[in-house]
Formats: sequence, C-alpha cells, structure tokens
Amino acid sequence: MKSKLSDELPDLVTHNIISEETALKIQTYFDSKHEDAPNRLFTVFGILGALLIGLGVILMLAHNWDYFPRSLKTLLAFLPLIIGQGLVGYTILKKKSATWREASGTFLFFAVGSSIALISQIYNIPGDLSVYVLTWVVLVMPLIYLLKSHAVVILHLVFSTFYASSLGYDGFGVAPWYYLLLLAFVLPYYVSMLKRQPQSNRVSIFNWLLPLSVIITLGTFLQEHGEMGYVMYVILFGIFYNIGRLPQFADQKLRRNGYVVLGSVGTVVMLLIMSFNGVWDFEWDAALFASHEFLMTIVCYAIGLALLIYLHKKRLVQYINLFHYVFIIFVIVFFSGMGNNIMATVIVNLLVLSLGLITIKFGADKLHFGILNYGLVILTALIVSRFFDTDMSFAIRGLLFVGVGIGFFVTNYVMLKRKKAIVTPKL
Amino acid sequence: MKTVHIISIFLVLVLAQLFVPAKMIFDQEKVLTKGVSYKFKTQPVDPSDPFKGKYIYLNYEINSAVSKDTTWVNGSPIYIALATDALGFATVKRFSRTAFEDSDYIQAKVDWYNKMNQTVHFSFPFTEFYMNEAKAYEAEVAHMNAQSDSLPNNTYALVYVFEGKAVLDNVFINDIPIADYVEK
Repeated sequence: MKSKLSDELPDLVTHNIISEETALKIQTYFDSKHEDAPNRLFTVFGILGALLIGLGVILMLAHNWDYFPRSLKTLLAFLPLIIGQGLVGYTILKKKSATWREASGTFLFFAVGSSIALISQIYNIPGDLSVYVLTWVVLVMPLIYLLKSHAVVILHLVFSTFYASSLGYDGFGVAPWYYLLLLAFVLPYYVSMLKRQPQSNRVSIFNWLLPLSVIITLGTFLQEHGEMGYVMYVILFGIFYNIGRLPQFADQKLRRNGYVVLGSVGTVVMLLIMSFNGVWDFEWDAALFASHEFLMTIVCYAIGLALLIYLHKKRLVQYINLFHYVFIIFVIVFFSGMGNNIMATVIVNLLVLSLGLITIKFGADKLHFGILNYGLVILTALIVSRFFDTDMSFAIRGLLFVGVGIGFFVTNYVMLKRKKAIVTPKL
Repeated sequence: MKTVHIISIFLVLVLAQLFVPAKMIFDQEKVLTKGVSYKFKTQPVDPSDPFKGKYIYLNYEINSAVSKDTTWVNGSPIYIALATDALGFATVKRFSRTAFEDSDYIQAKVDWYNKMNQTVHFSFPFTEFYMNEAKAYEAEVAHMNAQSDSLPNNTYALVYVFEGKAVLDNVFINDIPIADYVEK
C-alpha cells in the first residue's frame, strides 16, 4: 500500500519542484512507515485462517456423527481444545510473534466453545444459549492478558454482547448483569492500548466496537420499566459524545472516533423519536422509583455529569454545542413530562431544531460539507417526522419541503464558493 | 508480567478449560451408571442450535398435575416423584416444592398455573435430543408415521434418573432407537 505521493516523486523531481535529495528523504520516510505492512497482513490472514478453522470445527462437530461411539465422540470433543492449548502454550513459552499470538488465541477461543457444545450434544444437555456462551467467554477471557491478542478481545466483546442479547431480549425478565463484569474485564486492556497507540487502526476498531456493544446491550437491562429506556439511551449517547470529546479522542478523525459519531447520531435519533407526542403517553407508578432501571439511570446520569464537569475543567466544552449537555435538559424534560406531555413534546422539538441549526453552523464555520449536510439532514428528519402527526395542509407541507430542498442547494453552494475563495486567494 | 507468572496463569486456565467439559461428562456419566431408567412418552419436533447442531425437541405427555395450591411461581422448581404404570411408562407419583428422599424424583420447572383446571404445568430438563443433521427432520416424520399405526403412542424417551438429576439416553419408536428407525 504505497502512498500516491511516492508515485508522483519522479515526476516532481523531473519538473524541478523538489530536489532529488528531498525525493529520497520522502521515499525513505514512506518505506519506513510501511516496513511492517507485510507482517500485519500476515497477522490478519492468520486470524482469518484460525477463525475459519475454529468455526469449521464447530460446524463439523454439529453435524453429529451418530455412528461414532460415545467414547470416541468425547475424545473428539477434547481434541481441538488440547491442540489449541498446545499452540497457545507454545506461543507463550517461545515468545512467538503477534501473528502466532493472534492466530493461536483465535483458534483456542473456538476450540473451547466447540468442546462444551459437543459434550452438551453427546449427553443431550439442554441449555440456555446464554449460559453456554457465558461459560465459553469466561473460560477464554484470561487469554486477553496472557496473549495480548486483539482478535481475542474482539471475539470477547462480540460474544459478551451475544450473551447479553440472548439472555436479556428473550422476554423472560432477566437482566444480563454479568455483561458488566465481562466489559469491565477488557477496559484496562483498552485503556493501555489507548495510551500506547491512540492513532492505530486497532484502537479505532475498539472505538467503534465498545460503544456499539454497550448500545446493543443497554436495552437488555430494561425489563419491567421499558419507558426508562428513552431516558437511559439519551444519557448514554450524551456520555458517548462527551467521551469522544476527551483529549484522547478529540483530535482523531471522525471515522476513528466512534464515540462522537454514535453519540451524536444516537442523540438525534432518540430525540426524534421523543418528538412524537404519542410516545409520551407513559403510565407512571411508584414502583418505577424502586426499580433497577431507575437506579441504572441515576448511575448513568452521574457518570454523564462527572464527565461533563471534567471536560469543563479542562476547558473542552463549547457552550454553544448543545450535544454536550442536551441529555441534562432531556432528563429534566422527561421527568417533568410526567404531568404535561404537550410541553415536553414542544421542548424536544425545539431541542432537535437547535441541534440541527448548531450542526449547520459548525459545518459552515469549519467549511466541512459532511457536518453541514448532517445538520440539514437533522432538520429534514424533524420536518418529515412532523408530517406524520400534524394536520398541516398539503400545500404548506409541500412548501416546507421545497424550502428545505432550496436550503440544501443554497447552503452547499454558498459554502462551496467560500471554500474556493479561500483555496484560490485573489491576486 | 513475568513469563513465569504468565505460564502459571495459563496452566490454571488450561486446567479450568479442561475441567468444565470433564465435569459435565462426569455428572452425566454418574446419572447414566448409577441412575434408574424411566420411559417417558413423547412427541418430537425438529429445531436446530447454532453451535450444538440439530436436535429434536421432545414434548412429554406428562406435563401437568392437578394442584389446589394456586401460589406456583412461573420458573420456580417443582420436584416430581416418579412411578411406572402397567405398560412400564413413567407416571407422576406425587409432586412437591422440596426434594423427596424416599423415591426417584426429577427437578422440573413450573411453566404456569391454570386456575380454571387447577393444574400446574411444568417442563422437564431433558427436552432436547441431538441427532445427525440429516436425521432430525426424518425423525419427526417417522414419529408421525408411527402414530398412524395401531398402537396409540409408541414413541418414548429413555431417561436415567439419579438424585434429582436426569440424563436423556435415547429416544425410541416401537422399541427401536430413533436414529436406527429413521435409517430403515
């Protein structure tokens, strides 16, 4: 994967734009940067190979070779496990390369799963999928620190999320509390990785995977009082947005900063949902305030506030940027909305409108088309949503649409002109 | 971390990873060798598990009992003491919220309580019988075909019972193991 610039170097030298010496320096710089590229590619293939073999073993055993005697099947259940353990042991003892660590860890991960699955199959042990996956993940998670394997961390996160979803979303009213422990177990690894190589691609993967896992799982904790989900998710997205503005993430490109993107989009989506008057039709009862959902909301709110205070002390809060603290306003509106849902609906609509306008302003200030159009999309979504629950005449609705459409053209055109004016200054 | 520590933790992990499946085998084998076998009349259907493969789900004819007690909680344990009828099939001798000491029993789970009929419905912890992927659906069909012959219900599960634990050993149609019956 060579840089485009390095391809242009001979041409630049020929036209006397840069000297041969500079070209050589640039070339050496790029070469040093890509020195470890083949190794990394080899690691990726190693992980993919181990992943496919591991999954293949599970599928082959799931076929159920019923003409094998029980003793042979039992032996087969242990075979991949022992091979996997042998490979990991060899990797640790001989201090092998990253490729070995990743591939052997991945293989052992699936070997443990296949072993438990096959024993359950041989003895017809029925079982909750969630208990099975939890046992599996717990038996493998120390490998994260023993092997320092990124692939095992990714698998750990994916399967922990799978455990929480299969337990929490099955409708039997059980919250997957162990998920919190499984998540806490990987955090020190993630933090140390953030400190050592904040700009690496591996960290970027976790910057997306970790918040995504929490977003998917938060809903599984909503059992008796589903209505608390609205407020919990808005707080969660607020927390993510503010995490994304911490110094460790703020300078990263948007595609590396899953917290800001998910936090921002999530906030807008939740508020758009709450901008419908019908959604506010909750039935409140005193039991709510004694529920674990309410307790979790308080904990999340406290985390969100603490984070905001930290950002404020570090002077990292832009007070015009409503995304930082919209969750605080929403919580107040939510609990006061118990009595007066018309007022709550109006305020939430105003909040979405403000978020859209602020985003457009940021886009215009930074001359960033992506942000500008994101702001316009927020406004459009708000207008489209209002079409569903208002009795406006078709003519007015039509005019509004035309207005927004013209707005898209005009804002983009004006910004394009401004950008051109800056890039090509007048002589 | 020093290599010695890493290796020691890894060895503990290896033992734990081997212990869990080994313990599962040991527990099941104990019931199979020391337990008493019972035949439960059943109706199989064919679902699938993403990791363990295809299995037939077994609906048992014994799935409820008359109870005047209306306080059964869904999901709570119910202990079923077993007896056999004249044809050798398992029947419910009595049931209770606590384990029995004088009889073979199984710990089942309360599904729901029917106030109209005053019956408590429960499910046994041996509802899944794993089969070769090609045979699971065939087994369901074979059971339906066997139903249409002269005998009333001739499909049963052979279950070993020991100290409240139960292990499903095999499923039979007309006294032939279901996997062999399907091949016929």
